[in-house]
Amino acid sequence: MATEIKPGRKRLTLGSVGADLLLVFWFVFSLFPIAWMVLLALKTDTEQTTTYFAFSPTFDNFGTVMSQRGTDLTSVDFAGALVSSVLNCGGAVLVSLLIGIPAAYAAGRWKYRGSEDLMFQMLSFRFAPELMVVVPLFVIYNQTGLFDTTYGMIWVLQLVTMPLVVWILRSYFQDLSAELEQAALLDGYTRRRAFVMVALPLVRPGIAAAALLAFIFAWNNYVFPLILTDSNATTVTVAVTKFLGGGGQAYYNLTAAAALIGALPPLLLALTIQRYLVRGLSFGAVKA
Amino acid sequence: MATLEITGVTTRYGKVVGVEDLDLSVGDGEFFVVLGPSGAGKTTTLKSVAGLVDIDAGRVAIAGRDLTGVEPYHRNVAMAFESYALYPQKTVFENLASPLRSGRTGSYSKADQERRIELVTTTLGINHLLQRFPRELSNGQRQRVALGRVLVRPADVYLLDEPLSHLDAKLRAAMRAELKQLGEESNTTALYVTHDYQEALDLGERIAVLRHGRLVQVGTPEQIWREPADTFVAKALGQPEINLLDAVVDDGSLVGAGAGGAVAVPVPAGLDLAAGERVRLGIRPRDIDRAGPDDRPAPGHLAVRGRVHLAERLGRLVELAVHVGDTELIMVASSDHAAEEGDLVDLHVDLADVHVFAAGAPGEDTPRLGGGVPRQRRPAEEPATGRAR
Amino acid sequence: MTTTAPSRQAPPAGPAQHGTPPVVPRWRRRLRPYLLSVPAVAIIIGILYPFFLGVYYAFLNYSAVNPNPVLVGFDNFRSVLSDPEFWTSVRVTATYAFVATGLETVLGIGIALLLNRSSIVGRIFEKVLILPLMIAPVIAAVIWKLMFNPQFGVLNHVLGLGSTFDWLSRDRALWSTILVDLWIYTPFVAILVLAGLRSLPKEPFEASEVDGAGWFYMFRRLMLPMMWPYILVAVIFRLMDCLKIFDIVYVLTAGGPGDATRTLQVGAFEDSITNLNYSRGSTYMFLLWILVFAVARYLVSVLGKAQRRAAGAEG
Repeated sequence: MATEIKPGRKRLTLGSVGADLLLVFWFVFSLFPIAWMVLLALKTDTEQTTTYFAFSPTFDNFGTVMSQRGTDLTSVDFAGALVSSVLNCGGAVLVSLLIGIPAAYAAGRWKYRGSEDLMFQMLSFRFAPELMVVVPLFVIYNQTGLFDTTYGMIWVLQLVTMPLVVWILRSYFQDLSAELEQAALLDGYTRRRAFVMVALPLVRPGIAAAALLAFIFAWNNYVFPLILTDSNATTVTVAVTKFLGGGGQAYYNLTAAAALIGALPPLLLALTIQRYLVRGLSFGAVKA
Repeated sequence: MATLEITGVTTRYGKVVGVEDLDLSVGDGEFFVVLGPSGAGKTTTLKSVAGLVDIDAGRVAIAGRDLTGVEPYHRNVAMAFESYALYPQKTVFENLASPLRSGRTGSYSKADQERRIELVTTTLGINHLLQRFPRELSNGQRQRVALGRVLVRPADVYLLDEPLSHLDAKLRAAMRAELKQLGEESNTTALYVTHDYQEALDLGERIAVLRHGRLVQVGTPEQIWREPADTFVAKALGQPEINLLDAVVDDGSLVGAGAGGAVAVPVPAGLDLAAGERVRLGIRPRDIDRAGPDDRPAPGHLAVRGRVHLAERLGRLVELAVHVGDTELIMVASSDHAAEEGDLVDLHVDLADVHVFAAGAPGEDTPRLGGGVPRQRRPAEEPATGRAR
Repeated sequence: MTTTAPSRQAPPAGPAQHGTPPVVPRWRRRLRPYLLSVPAVAIIIGILYPFFLGVYYAFLNYSAVNPNPVLVGFDNFRSVLSDPEFWTSVRVTATYAFVATGLETVLGIGIALLLNRSSIVGRIFEKVLILPLMIAPVIAAVIWKLMFNPQFGVLNHVLGLGSTFDWLSRDRALWSTILVDLWIYTPFVAILVLAGLRSLPKEPFEASEVDGAGWFYMFRRLMLPMMWPYILVAVIFRLMDCLKIFDIVYVLTAGGPGDATRTLQVGAFEDSITNLNYSRGSTYMFLLWILVFAVARYLVSVLGKAQRRAAGAEG
């Protein structure tokens, strides 16, 4: 069993075979629901309630989901929800970057009174129960007309994206030697030019990772659009659940197709930033 | 091209003191060395001058102009960082061109830039590396690029932070010679930081010795070498370290304790010491001469006989640990008349080379007593060559 | 120096030394980080405003049917705290949070240890591992809800449980939602711990293997102390998230059947959004917030200690 600690030295023992079996079990468990979702999404209406794996695959479901279908349950504008999701999340990430990069830089570069408080306030947003903020916002939004708008969503999604951006980028700025910028200052560049010329290019991977991860989490968010949007600015996550229907006939194949479409963007983005994922998920606490 | 005045500068990092109440005055065009062990506040001194750290008290003035509150990019100083601080995303050429392109060090055409970079990189032996990135260089090469980024531009003051520390021994000697020549020819004021006393003695027109953020002594290399202000400075210069012997004043002589009365030096003129008072004698290993058994000591010399306890060969030289009574003296002799362990040897020391310090506990640094002793020789050649004849 | 000679002889090129350079007073330099943080602080205040409004609601009798509320002091707290349904929610939330976090931690550490044996297999499986983690929890819940269906769901079919086994029955619903939570979030613990394992120094392990130490001894005495910070980071994130669990439960069971899976946030949702009784929902949330805050405080202090100890163990 010592092989578990030291990579590279593998012995074929009963223990290691058992361990491999456990791994295989976990990956079956992990992949099965996803595989099932894909299968289901390819089934025809007549096959959708079967649990057999053999079927005649069709891609019609995706088309049906994307084009609004006014049946009893799917009065869902799924394509519109996709657009809304992109707008909401893209806008939220953009705002977070514009506001978060300077703050992360300040907190990573200088020790100043209140910087830790600021950072922990940010972190507390990550851990705060969403409804604590959303219930009053529901009332405020209804009064101010922000309900069911992209602006309203961009604002509330800061709760998701801002802490992520600020914490991840602070850890990147902390890793960056201050002497690089000092050298630029002595070369005759102003602080702003030194920042743009030296610091910014060097944390670009961090910015990309933070931005994409923030986008993923904003995309995956459910509570905010559920409560603060209706049909106009509603998002993919809410739209997917509507396919489950309430009482009327359920369209399993359509639900699965919608779920697949909604799950795909985060999955693709996640694979592109896999190297930075651990650091991002732990808010910079674990540097892998 | 400018004088540099540091007056009462104190720089703290939170509660940690970087430098405290530092006064330095560097002349126009002077090559001034700051010497001290790590943590002495050398880098803080440079960064205080550059305006990269906020000073908590005092002022820095260049060319007579107070720089308090002036941004680093308006100070017209250049600095070579010990960490190199090369821009990793830029090539060597772009790194060197960076100060020329900022517009604050003068305006240079593309041809001007290339000519200057060519000149500097040729001097530093890195002109074949221009298209490389810093990550593709050895530490020695990076250090020369960092130095080049300073030399490529005009500045009122050059701030050099251990610019030779990561070079291998051979290259370091060559670069030291190069820097010495540049220093002599140039009229740019330079503040050069090092922990290497040989570098300091070799390059500095004057040297400041720092310890724990405080200034211990300022002087020419000769003054620092000849008249170390205290045992800290004395120990900082010279390898092996200076011998320190406890002694008491007895009948107009300073008698080394534990040496059975063998080490006895007349109290130097101008030193007012009462009988029974305790002092410390400092004798540099290289100031101890090996004499033949029949050689009579020249006038004004101390002669002692001891037994070689350890002989350690260091190439051309041999380091000898000689026991005189209970006292151990370290000396350096040339290997051609080396002594074996157990041999009896006669040692002569010029009384002018005996330093007198106040008494203190072992490890405690104590100040030099009295002024200097009359000098006859130029000492500058001493540390490098030794005096074994 | 020689290299600078050209421009020295042509002084007009000289830059800053002509004229007095601008002086930036110390207080303005000190202000710099604050200025950079101003927009972020504005966002924080903007988010804190509804938060405090929510706290305020907890002391009102505000609801859709009572749009002109008045202060009622601690009435809401009294009524909520004496409501057995609230305590059911507390019990459900605590069970969910501790069972899910505990299992995910153990399973995650196990998977990480297994993956760490071989780097090639590890890197390939890692890609698979993060898939459930990146899918929106809601979408994951939707998939599982389809699979849980007694008649048409695939689980009963594959596991041979017939068509009457109900995964979301009153007795099983909580465990089924925890199962979905495990599916999504065990990889989170695993990849964090795996990152920690890969950063471990090799020397102490080789040294103690030379000394003849057993695997379990090394795991307990060497690896665990060094891994504690990583594990704790994972535990903190999981526990905090579980305490405020909403989306998975809401989609799978909407808190039911009855109140079998009515976690605190689901309860708050029912009160404030479904029943439009804002004050009661806010009271729920305020109590949950105090709980989360206290747990977070405690865990972060434990983490600080562990990090210092791990630094000592490695040094």
